[in-house]
Amino acid sequence: MVDDTDALIARTPEEFRRKLDIEVHTEHQVIEIDAKNQRVAVQAQGAPLRWEPYDELVIATGSAPIVPSWDGVGARGVFAVKSLEDGVRIRQYIDSEQPRHAVVVGGGYIGIEMAENLRHLGIETTLIEQLAEVMPSLDPDMGALVSQGLRDLGVRLLLQHSVSGIEVKSGRVRALQTNAGIIPCDLLILGLGVRPVSELAHAAGVKLGVKNAIRVDPYLKSSIPSIWAVGDVAESTNLITGQPGYVALATVANKQGRIAGLNLSGASIPFPGVLGTAITRVGTLEVARTGLTLAEAQNAQVDVVAVRIQSETKLGYFPDVSSITVKLIADPKSGRLVGGQIVGGTGSGKRIDTIAVAATAKMTIHDMVDLDLAYAPPFSDVWDPVQIAARALVSKMSQ
Amino acid sequence: MANRLVIIGGDGAGMSAASQAKRRNPTLRVRAFEKGPVTSYSA
Ligand SMILES: Cc1cc2nc3c(=O)[nH]c(=O)nc-3n(C[C@H](O)[C@H](O)[C@H](O)COP(=O)(O)OP(=O)(O)OC[C@H]3O[C@@H](n4cnc5c(N)ncnc54)[C@H](O)[C@@H]3O)c2cc1C
Repeated sequence: MVDDTDALIARTPEEFRRKLDIEVHTEHQVIEIDAKNQRVAVQAQGAPLRWEPYDELVIATGSAPIVPSWDGVGARGVFAVKSLEDGVRIRQYIDSEQPRHAVVVGGGYIGIEMAENLRHLGIETTLIEQLAEVMPSLDPDMGALVSQGLRDLGVRLLLQHSVSGIEVKSGRVRALQTNAGIIPCDLLILGLGVRPVSELAHAAGVKLGVKNAIRVDPYLKSSIPSIWAVGDVAESTNLITGQPGYVALATVANKQGRIAGLNLSGASIPFPGVLGTAITRVGTLEVARTGLTLAEAQNAQVDVVAVRIQSETKLGYFPDVSSITVKLIADPKSGRLVGGQIVGGTGSGKRIDTIAVAATAKMTIHDMVDLDLAYAPPFSDVWDPVQIAARALVSKMSQ
Repeated sequence: MANRLVIIGGDGAGMSAASQAKRRNPTLRVRAFEKGPVTSYSA
C-alpha cells in the first residue's frame, strides 16, 4: 500500500495540480448538495452557478468560531479567530487603532494563546472565563496551574465571570458587560470554541450527531451512500468510551482525511478513534492532555481514580530544570489508564504522548510502571515523571 | 469503480483525503472546491 507523505507538502492549487493532478478551485463555494442526483452546486464570484457531478463526495467543510448573539458583536474591534486572514485582520486593527485594553472571552487554548500574544505586544489584557479555572479541557486542579501561568505573563484573569453584552461607541467596541460590572476595552477577542460547518450536509439530509457534527461510521462514511465526512465537520469516536464525540483538531482532521482517502481508493480501513490528545504553551509553561478528564469520566459514567504528582523535568543540578505536574486517571477495578494531563516547564508537554500510547494500547497503570522508558540526567530522573505518577496511582489503589 | 471524486473544503481534512485517494488510484478525477482564497494545512 502506498502511503502518501510527500503530498502533504503540496500547498498551493498549482502544486496540487502539477504534483498530484488534483484540481483545486479556490474562491469556489459549494452552496448545495443534491444527494439524489449526486451533484453539487458551485458558486464562483461573478460566474454563473454550475452543477458538478460526483460519484463520491467528501464533505470537509471544517468548523467556524462560535459567535454569540450579543448586541454589538459585529462592532469594529471585535474578532473571532479561525483563519490566517483573521490573524492578519487583528494585526491590522492593532497597528492602525493602537488598542490599549484588550479583553479575551474564553479560556480555552485559542483564548490563552491570544492573551499571551497580546501581552507580547504590550497590550493590557484581561481574560474572562466562566469556569473556575482556564483550560476546560483539563481538570480544574491542573487548569489552576495554567491560570497562574497566565497571571505570570501579566494577564488579568476574571474567572467565574459571564458576559452579557458589548457596549459600542461610534461603531467600535467600548466595553464588555459582565455579571461583575463593565470592563472597558478597545479590542475584544472571542475564544468561545468552534462548531462544525454542517449546514450544507444537514440540508442534503445527512444525519448529524454530537454538537451537530456529521455522524460517520468507522470508515468515515455519512448516513448517505457516496457521501463521506472528515475533519472538524465530522464526529470522531472516543477511544475510551467508544461513544461518538467531537474533537476539532488538525491531528484528527488529517488522520480522518487519510483514512477516507484510502477507503475511497479501494481500501476498507476503519478509523479507530481519538483520545483528544492536545498540547499548547503559555509562556514557558507546557500544557497537555489526553483521554478523559474527571468531569468527562463522570459524564460518561466511567468510574475512575486519579492521582497528581509534582516532579522535575530532569535532574535537579541542571540550571534549566523545571517543575512538571502529572495527573493520571485510571479505572479503579482493572487499573486501565483512561487519561492524563501534564503542566510544566520546557520538556514536559510531549510526555503526554507516552500516556496517549499507553491509553491506546489499553495498558494498566501497573504496565506503565514497568515501561522501559529512556533515562539520562539531562532528560529525566531515573523514573520518568509519568511513571512516578503511575507508581503513586498504584499505591493509592492498593490502599 | 467510482471515478469522479469531489471534495468540499480545501484544508487539512479535505486535501489529505484528496491526495491519499488520488495517489492510490491515479485514475480518479479529483476536484476540490474551497470557498476561501487559499488551500493550506494551516493548523
Ligand atoms: C487559532 C487556531 C489554532 C489551532 N492550533 C491547533 C494546534 O496547535 N493543533 C491542532 O491539532 N489543531 C489546531 N487547531 C485546529 C485546526 O486548525 C483544525 O482542527 C483543522 O484546521 C481542521 O481542518 P479541516 O480541514 O477539518 O477544517 P478547516 O480547517 O475548518 O477547513 C475547512 C475548509 O472548508 C472550506 N469550506 C467550508 N464550507 C465550504 C463550502 N461550502 N464550499 C467550499 N469550501 C468550504 C473553508 O473555507 C475551509 O478552508 C487550531 C485552530 C485555530 C483556529
